[in-house]
Amino acid sequence: MNTGDARAEILRSIRTHLEASKRHDAVPSASDSAVDSNHEASLPLSRQSLSETAVAEVIQVFKRNLEAVDGQCVVVHSDAEVEETVKRITEGREVATPNASRSDLFKYEVGVTAAQAGIAETGTLVLDSSVERNRLVSLVPPVHIAILDASRIYPTLSETLNALHSGAELSPAITFITGPSRTADIELTLAIGVHGPQELHVIVVQNKS
Amino acid sequence: MNQLSSETFAENAKAALADDQLRDALRHATTLFGKRRSEAAASLSNWEDLRSQARAIKDDVLLHLDRYLETFVQNAETRGAKIHWARDAAEANAIITRLVVERGARNVVKSKSMTTEEIHLNAALERAGMQVVETDLGEYIIQLAGETPSHIIAPAIHKTKRQISELFTAELGMAPTDDVGQLTSTARSTLRERFARADVGISGVNFGIAETGTIAIVENEGNIRLTTSLPRTHIAVMGIEKLLPRFADLDVFLKLLPRSGTGQALSTYQSFITGTKRNASDEGPDELHIVLLDNGRSRMLAHPVTRQSLACIRCGACLNSCPVYQQIGGHAYGSVYPGPIGSVITPQLIGIQKAAQLPYASSLCGACREVCPVKIDIPRLLLHLRVQISEKQRNGRTKERLAFKLWAAIMTRPKLYETTAIAARLFQRWFKLPVKAWTSGRDLRPIETESFREHWRRTR
Amino acid sequence: MRVSLFVTCLVDQLWSSVGTSCVAVLGRAGCEVEFDERQTCCGQPAFNTGYRREARRVAKRFIEVFEESKADAIVSPSGSCTAMVHHFPELFSDEPRWCERAEAIAARTHEFSSFLVRVLEIDDVGASWPGRLTWHDACHGLRDLNIKTEPRRLIRNVRGAELVEIENAESCCGFGGTFAVKYPEISLAILDQKIEAIERAGVQAVVSGDASCLMQIGGRLSRKGSNVRVMHLAELLNQT
Repeated sequence: MNTGDARAEILRSIRTHLEASKRHDAVPSASDSAVDSNHEASLPLSRQSLSETAVAEVIQVFKRNLEAVDGQCVVVHSDAEVEETVKRITEGREVATPNASRSDLFKYEVGVTAAQAGIAETGTLVLDSSVERNRLVSLVPPVHIAILDASRIYPTLSETLNALHSGAELSPAITFITGPSRTADIELTLAIGVHGPQELHVIVVQNKS
Repeated sequence: MNQLSSETFAENAKAALADDQLRDALRHATTLFGKRRSEAAASLSNWEDLRSQARAIKDDVLLHLDRYLETFVQNAETRGAKIHWARDAAEANAIITRLVVERGARNVVKSKSMTTEEIHLNAALERAGMQVVETDLGEYIIQLAGETPSHIIAPAIHKTKRQISELFTAELGMAPTDDVGQLTSTARSTLRERFARADVGISGVNFGIAETGTIAIVENEGNIRLTTSLPRTHIAVMGIEKLLPRFADLDVFLKLLPRSGTGQALSTYQSFITGTKRNASDEGPDELHIVLLDNGRSRMLAHPVTRQSLACIRCGACLNSCPVYQQIGGHAYGSVYPGPIGSVITPQLIGIQKAAQLPYASSLCGACREVCPVKIDIPRLLLHLRVQISEKQRNGRTKERLAFKLWAAIMTRPKLYETTAIAARLFQRWFKLPVKAWTSGRDLRPIETESFREHWRRTR
Repeated sequence: MRVSLFVTCLVDQLWSSVGTSCVAVLGRAGCEVEFDERQTCCGQPAFNTGYRREARRVAKRFIEVFEESKADAIVSPSGSCTAMVHHFPELFSDEPRWCERAEAIAARTHEFSSFLVRVLEIDDVGASWPGRLTWHDACHGLRDLNIKTEPRRLIRNVRGAELVEIENAESCCGFGGTFAVKYPEISLAILDQKIEAIERAGVQAVVSGDASCLMQIGGRLSRKGSNVRVMHLAELLNQT
């Protein structure tokens, strides 16, 4: 099996060439120390510590950023409102839920999933495929409705990454979604809705206490 | 259309300059990309810090590349990925072809990957009887047209709506249109059908995370998500330099890459794939194969100046900022990677013999260095390569070498310098020799009767 | 303040009024200017074309000549040549003794506008030139030496002068030394984008800190029969 040879050879090539570069390297790898302090000094915000006003603000930041990239965002306060909103958006069209079969997936016009987290500073949804079977339902139908609990919106990308990576091993497939799919490949003219959904609706559920 | 060669760069460039439609398209695109990039950079008060951090992270990775690769591989394998090592393009193609054939696959969907362009993967798969379709809209367009990408992130930047409409009419039977939305939905419906029956999905990788064995891929269209979640088998091709040490490092790079490339704060989709699914009944492919590609990269580690070439995150910002690229576009470079970064990695990947012109096709203005998110000093790299070329290509450059030897002899002897200068000025005034390369487009300043030093002497 | 003029071979042979203007302006600014006639070139042409050995020979000569000067500063009317001198230490990375000497010289070498504004802290030299003009940011001065606000400050104090900015002031003019003769068509295509902007701005003159850029721009303007003239910053500041 040539893989063993190729691996050994590539690693050897790397080591040999790095060795050769040593005499040219004026400064010893100062980047080793740079690596530890390479982040903004902001302390990761514990999600529980955000006050109600802070949560309200985070929701507004999230909504603003999502709408800036042609996503649609509605803030509701109860399960009944969620249901109502979903009904309004789907307008009687066929809805795929995470239980939908793969072969049927291409026939649905709307897919509804939860989002396991959100990122306020970019208006991004975080989908974790190990928690919910949402990978294809959030992708194949031309309309995606995502239900996001406001308490799961992190202010920044950095905090989100830390939260995803804390504790247990990373989920096999995590997807960040920021707005509907788009392209500018033709004369740099923006076209919304390419391979992924053409419409993205996020229903943020803000529960009082 | 035949792939142009780097060896005919001068001719390629001339032809590109004569193509008015191409030049208009380039002007429009590079200006827009440039404007968006600089607005996006200005919107982050810590932009310069981010660049420094990113470069420090990359320097660390490259200086310890063997260790980080081993860590990445171990973590990815623990999570169920199969790792393959490819020393060169031929080996990578052989591995991928074997994987595909072994699985009885016929239909392959591909997402945009410059690395797979580099190894000419599609041709290899087609030779093995596969039907390979590019699913990124720009790549799909050029695949239909039988062309190669002309820009690292916007492959069809050189094509007009009309050309694309004509192409779709000819290849897909679409009714002619100049509506971008229509063109896009034609591509969407054609490609959905291919996605639905694809056996294998092949993608590139933007970042491999050593700490977790994760591969991270970014996009706007959704074709990467489809490519990497619908088919039973996912093959990801990754240059060995694409590693980051920690999952948290993605923060810095996800802030820099989309802003540098298209001016977006974040691309529409990021897929973070770590190994294979936990249960057979879960969504997603049954298997993940990661092909690690060297193909000349490890050689670049041998010198700090060349090592920085490997820090590139393929954002395309240098192309958009380059006065040369802005005029001639990507195809003229005759290489997979065009523009400033292409000019420095192509000679290193395919050898300076075949790409000797590229490092000279620059005015050394430094605009690329300014916009590079990982602070690659491209002008310094260009000069480094020029030194190598002038030393290694002695045969083709005898006149030039002798000219500079003579020049140095004159410039180190002030009296000789003066005499030569006086003689040259007199000669030029009497004979008005047109220095054709100059005078083909510009007038020469009238030669002065007195040099500065002569004036100084006379008036002191 | 004693200044040793590094006039550059280009100005010396092809544009002496830049040198004489430089001397005059520095003199008005209170400097005593000396000129060492043993100077020739900074080595840029060889360095940029990949001929390190030849560049080193010429650089060593430069260092030897200017080391002897007791002047407080070495001043040059060229951003690219000044930047070249600042690159000297890189040329001598394998020769520590020369590297030290190169660093000392580089530390004392300044580009003309940068010297006036940052060192002498003067931005008004009493010049006057009525008319509309625009500034071209020569690449090395801009990106290697960070010269951007200094020339503009000096120009704004020229009585009667109206500074009009072109949107691509920071774009390369396409000269790039041997690039202009190795790839003349590309050089001209780049140049024409600069010329277009200049013509649209409706100015009477283009001013810059590098004679090479001015030859490139001026040569094209003249070929196109334009009335727009080119001026080096030193020449402008010497107008009274």
